[in-house]
Amino acid sequence: MTATFGPSPYIYVCTRLRVRKKKLILREEYMRMLHMGLPEITRLIQETEYKREIDELSTSFSGINLLELALSWNLAKSYQNVLKILPAGLKEMTSSYLRRWDIQNVLTILRGKEQKLKPGRIKEVLIPAGELDRTFLDRLIAMDSNDEIVEALKGWRLFRTLESEYQKVPEVGSFAQMENVLYRQFYAEIIRDAESGIKGGKEFLDFIQLDIDIRNLQNLLRIRLQGERAEISDYMIPGGSFTVEELSGLNKIEERGEFYERLEKSLKNRAFIGFVERLKSSETKAEEERRLEESQVALTRIQLAQMERMSKMHPFSIWPILAYLELKKFEIYNLRAITRGKEANLPMERIRNYLVI
Amino acid sequence: MAVENLTGLSVEMIEASQMGMTALAAAIAVGSTGIASAFAEYGIGSAAVGATAENKDVFGLVLLLTVIPETIVIFGLVVALLMLF
Repeated sequence: MTATFGPSPYIYVCTRLRVRKKKLILREEYMRMLHMGLPEITRLIQETEYKREIDELSTSFSGINLLELALSWNLAKSYQNVLKILPAGLKEMTSSYLRRWDIQNVLTILRGKEQKLKPGRIKEVLIPAGELDRTFLDRLIAMDSNDEIVEALKGWRLFRTLESEYQKVPEVGSFAQMENVLYRQFYAEIIRDAESGIKGGKEFLDFIQLDIDIRNLQNLLRIRLQGERAEISDYMIPGGSFTVEELSGLNKIEERGEFYERLEKSLKNRAFIGFVERLKSSETKAEEERRLEESQVALTRIQLAQMERMSKMHPFSIWPILAYLELKKFEIYNLRAITRGKEANLPMERIRNYLVI
Repeated sequence: MAVENLTGLSVEMIEASQMGMTALAAAIAVGSTGIASAFAEYGIGSAAVGATAENKDVFGLVLLLTVIPETIVIFGLVVALLMLF
């Protein structure tokens, strides 16, 4: 569906995705899975929509690796299926949003090669949901060195950034800085796309801002938990409701009370108020540290709740589409957490804390 | 001989004019309610096709929901018929 006339394509697509969203695994089912053993969970997953991928891959993989790969493939396939039914404007915005998977895949391959992992192991964790398709990623995995991989990415839209940052890797010693720069570049590009006057761009821009805020807050709180008070502006992404200077200034505050006070004052999005108040009300340092640890998942839950709210306020816009894509991503994330947790014999409570429900 | 009123029109002419006006009113009643039904149905129809594409079991239900705005045009038709006969 490429031509758009009036709002009907939007209504059609948003309804389809709303129905798909209803088919996602429910909270009660996750709770039931937590009480099951790994073979039972595998059987349960096999009975759902992941059956086709599991059947397809079962000749080459087995056990938990089979599950992991089937989940990743299913996610990529669901994303590509969504793209197929979107009308022009929405398709453009959704494709921009899905380009983040390219960064993740490229970095996974580079890191995997650096650590001399087997191609099969790297392949398991790739999610070919972006512009770089499965065949191209397979070709990259088959290459011998990272230099060759970077060279092969010449046509990629982030190639120039990748190339210049790749040269700095031996000096820096890790891919972390490269990752930050690539994501900053990615967000700058999608903000530009959203502001290009595209229909529905305002809603897309609101989503990007929310996404950047969540990422920045997650990073800020993670750094805070590690007790790091150095300059953090390199780790922050510009374009959110907080400025990079604001976030950087916040991290420099030593005193706990003052930090939360200032953070609360800088909040422009009301969705975060309850979250910050909860952190602020921690009575002991241990309690605060526990809440900070939980804050990563808590912020993701806030993001999903906010997306759900926005998709009700703007029922025929980019919001219901992105809400489905995000919820699908977290379904995969949850299933992985449960299967990996069960395999490692983690206690049920611990696995439950990792779940985004 | 036709009785003429102050405007110089005969009764037959006035009657014919009234008939024409009634027919025009009936046409407006059916036409405007038809447009209103179409406007209501295109949104419901798009959503119905979307829902059916994902879950074929809802076809019967969404078909019923799609034709509910047809009642608007039926009202228009009833009003038109009352005007004409």
